[in-house]
Amino acid sequence: MKLTDYEKKGIAILEPKGKIMGGPDATLLHDRLHELIETGKKQVVVDMAKVEWMNSTGLGILISGLTTLRNNQGELRLANVTGKIHSLLTITKLITVFEAFDSVEDAINSF
Amino acid sequence: MKKPTIVDNTIRIPSSQEYLVDIDSFLEGILRGYAINESTIADIAISVTEIVNNAIIHGNKSDLEKEVAVSITKRNSEIEIIIADQGSGFDPSTVKSPITDDNLLREVGRGIFIVKSLMDRVVFNSRGNCGTIVTLSKQLS
Repeated sequence: MKLTDYEKKGIAILEPKGKIMGGPDATLLHDRLHELIETGKKQVVVDMAKVEWMNSTGLGILISGLTTLRNNQGELRLANVTGKIHSLLTITKLITVFEAFDSVEDAINSF
Repeated sequence: MKKPTIVDNTIRIPSSQEYLVDIDSFLEGILRGYAINESTIADIAISVTEIVNNAIIHGNKSDLEKEVAVSITKRNSEIEIIIADQGSGFDPSTVKSPITDDNLLREVGRGIFIVKSLMDRVVFNSRGNCGTIVTLSKQLS
């Protein structure tokens, strides 16, 4: 997995790319997400467009970011959730927890 | 330090998550050779990496002297994967449902639930102090 991030309208956008399966790559996403929260970001969008698939490690990282942000009056939203990941969110009922949008722009405008 | 080794349709890795990418590459290489569609390959890869993560962390306790072995076989219209660790056994009945309201926001505990959803058959065979063998099967449509 590779990870890039940028800021738009004061909102942090994370773009993981590849597969999130555990190990050093997954730690990178977890650590960057929490770094952004620690520096005061309260609104975060994770753009899933380039994520091929993830397992429960990836879901756990997203939950960790979401709960940490909510505990700090913030919010994490998802954009461009693909078929395989949408299916995992449905299976695990996390689709009822995350707000997911068709594009990064829509996710940004939802705040 | 030990490195991943591949013999025929079996890969063995030391108990570190840094070798998950080797497991994934091994699986994809074999499954693409069988001309299996990408969605099924992803289901199998997600499931195998879930079980291997459990084997590394909970089974072998990340002891680099212990290995996790993954074997893959195609029988007619079925793919069977066997994952073996060298830990002290595992009782899957102790795993709580991750989809109840109380557990929905837990960061961990979804792996086996996901595997059972994606695969057609999941069998745990704990061998006590000789480790756990997990057999996964997926029917090919």
